[in-house]
Amino acid sequence: MMPRSLTARSLSLGTALALIVGFSSAGLGAALVGETKQVTLQQKGPSGTDALKALYRRPATIPFPKDNAYTPEKAALGKKLYFDTRLSVSMAQSCASCHSPSFGWGDGLAVGVGNGMNKLGRHSPTIVNAAWGEIFMWDGRLATLEDQALGPIQAAGEMNMPLDHLMQRLSGIPDYKPLFEAAFPREGMTPKTLAKAIATYERTVVSERAPFDAWIDGDEKAISEEAKRGFALFNGKAQCMTCHEGWNFTNDGFQDIGLPSKDVGRGEFAPGVIKMQHAFKTPGLREITRRAPFMHDGSLATLEQVIDHYDSGGVDRPSRSDLMRPLGLTAQEKSDLVAFLKTLTSNLTPTAAPVLPR
Amino acid sequence: MYRARTVLALAVVAGLSTGALAATQVIHQQGRAFSEESVTVTKGGAITFLNDDTIPHNIMSTSKGNEFNLGSQPPGASTDVTFKETGDVAVICAIHPRMKMTVKVVD
Repeated sequence: MMPRSLTARSLSLGTALALIVGFSSAGLGAALVGETKQVTLQQKGPSGTDALKALYRRPATIPFPKDNAYTPEKAALGKKLYFDTRLSVSMAQSCASCHSPSFGWGDGLAVGVGNGMNKLGRHSPTIVNAAWGEIFMWDGRLATLEDQALGPIQAAGEMNMPLDHLMQRLSGIPDYKPLFEAAFPREGMTPKTLAKAIATYERTVVSERAPFDAWIDGDEKAISEEAKRGFALFNGKAQCMTCHEGWNFTNDGFQDIGLPSKDVGRGEFAPGVIKMQHAFKTPGLREITRRAPFMHDGSLATLEQVIDHYDSGGVDRPSRSDLMRPLGLTAQEKSDLVAFLKTLTSNLTPTAAPVLPR
Repeated sequence: MYRARTVLALAVVAGLSTGALAATQVIHQQGRAFSEESVTVTKGGAITFLNDDTIPHNIMSTSKGNEFNLGSQPPGASTDVTFKETGDVAVICAIHPRMKMTVKVVD
């Protein structure tokens, strides 16, 4: 291979790239990956409390996709469907059974319980702030909230309800027809409109203003000094914000955080990608104190245990995120972090259970 | 947040079969985002993926004929990828699903 000369000029980096001599690997039927060089970066992350706080400001509006814009009719229909146990084959489980407003829109159990009261493999995730989700399920196997809505309904272990059976059953409930007609004129009652209605309702489930938001907006008395120190640790020594970033405290990324579970998570869909083995989607942290137990497997009962896990660095294996390492947190620092996390819980307005069509 | 644009001009004397002169574009990754949504490269040409973010990224593609996986790369890692087949290549970060872009490989 001939050497390649290059002239680097970068406004942001001010780095000079070393000469690339050639390609280190080559394979038929694939792109060629060259040798990786390490360049010096001039990192300039936000510094100072005010700059950090600006990253956590709540959005003013809920995002709805263009192909499923919000209407009150869709949301009202979606709410009825969400709470309707007739969406499961047993007529005993609704979406709200596992994603209940009584438990921060989860179920308060270590792992979910599905059809026939059988335990599922993973913790039921909250649906709070799902409107901002980039990808769905712990392993990211579904791309949209509409797809997600139909997943557990059909899953044999969960609501076990084939869609044709479901639509037949709903057709036999006279009061549903006008609700579908109002929400989806000329489209009627189909799995697609059912999914759109449920997803629309789910997008309206948003964490309300918490003490943390009041502090972000300038009320210094809204949270304790302990919690403020916790915020600094969250963004500093503990590096929580590398994954739990932004106002909803997640970038929807997949990380193996070193929990000793055999579940490969995202790895099922990315078998050749080392870092996706045992990787699960980073959950948001809003309403966190209502959502115990924690983690994808529900294995940690308290926030203190969660902090201890991160402090330990977890199981060191090839798939473990490069961001996981022992943190060396003191008892006071751990306590400060928990105090901060507690400021993310709002005084949720009670959700009224809907009267269902008969 | 400052978004780095592609300002790296590379004069490449390629050791590839064509031996042609080509410009190599740099894709930045600051703030968990690719600096471009779409770039075009000539078949046999390369793109430089530079992790100038503050955390590791795992850039890869499963698009047929142009598969690659850079693995977990720490901040500061810079790797050239040469595309051999024409077509649209969907490039993602396996870790961060909001990071996605297209490399259009043309004759």
